Amino acid sequence: MNRRTTLLSAGEILAWWAALVLLWLVLISAVDTLELVVGTSAALVGAFAAWGTRRAVSGW
Amino acid sequence: MNGWTVAATAALTAGAGAAVWGVATGPLRRRVVAQNLSTSLACPALLLLSQGYDRPSYVDLALLLALLGPVGTLVFARLLAEDLAEDPPQAWGLTYTVAGFGAAAVIAVCVAVGPGRALVKLLVVGALLIGGNLTASRALSGGFAGSRRG
Repeated sequence: MNRRTTLLSAGEILAWWAALVLLWLVLISAVDTLELVVGTSAALVGAFAAWGTRRAVSGW
Repeated sequence: MNGWTVAATAALTAGAGAAVWGVATGPLRRRVVAQNLSTSLACPALLLLSQGYDRPSYVDLALLLALLGPVGTLVFARLLAEDLAEDPPQAWGLTYTVAGFGAAAVIAVCVAVGPGRALVKLLVVGALLIGGNLTASRALSGGFAGSRRG
């Protein structure tokens, strides 16, 4: 990975993370601090998984 | 009883009854379509019930059904791919009717709920329901032939 692809990957993971956090916030019944901590952490794991899956499918 | 529960009961008795009959009888192409449409009917019924009984947690069940129903159909489409290729199901009229019913139920519940996070959640469920239904129907009728090699 060179500098450009690293930046692109970081941006993609950040985009996945933001989308997943939004989804989490929409789907939970009550928004509080614990939900935010769990949601942002789970979204980060999901973002890496989505990035890896997308790379595996599209091949780059 | 109110209008929501009446509509949900009608959808469950007419829709689920027809789905069970379709799954239990006839050729394979009819059975897979009935199996696919049974979850597409139960999901809007759950949305209507959540509004009728004022229990938002029923929406979670609808969300789960909208997500897992098409996944189950895709498993059938994959396992029965050879049999379905010989006699592919063509039930787009029925598919679009059920998708339209789902859209109508989602819109009605959205109007009743009003703006807020619950509305966005309902729209996510509706998008999963209709998108999943159409994708699964397309997979059953052999629309993703290229993916069979995997």
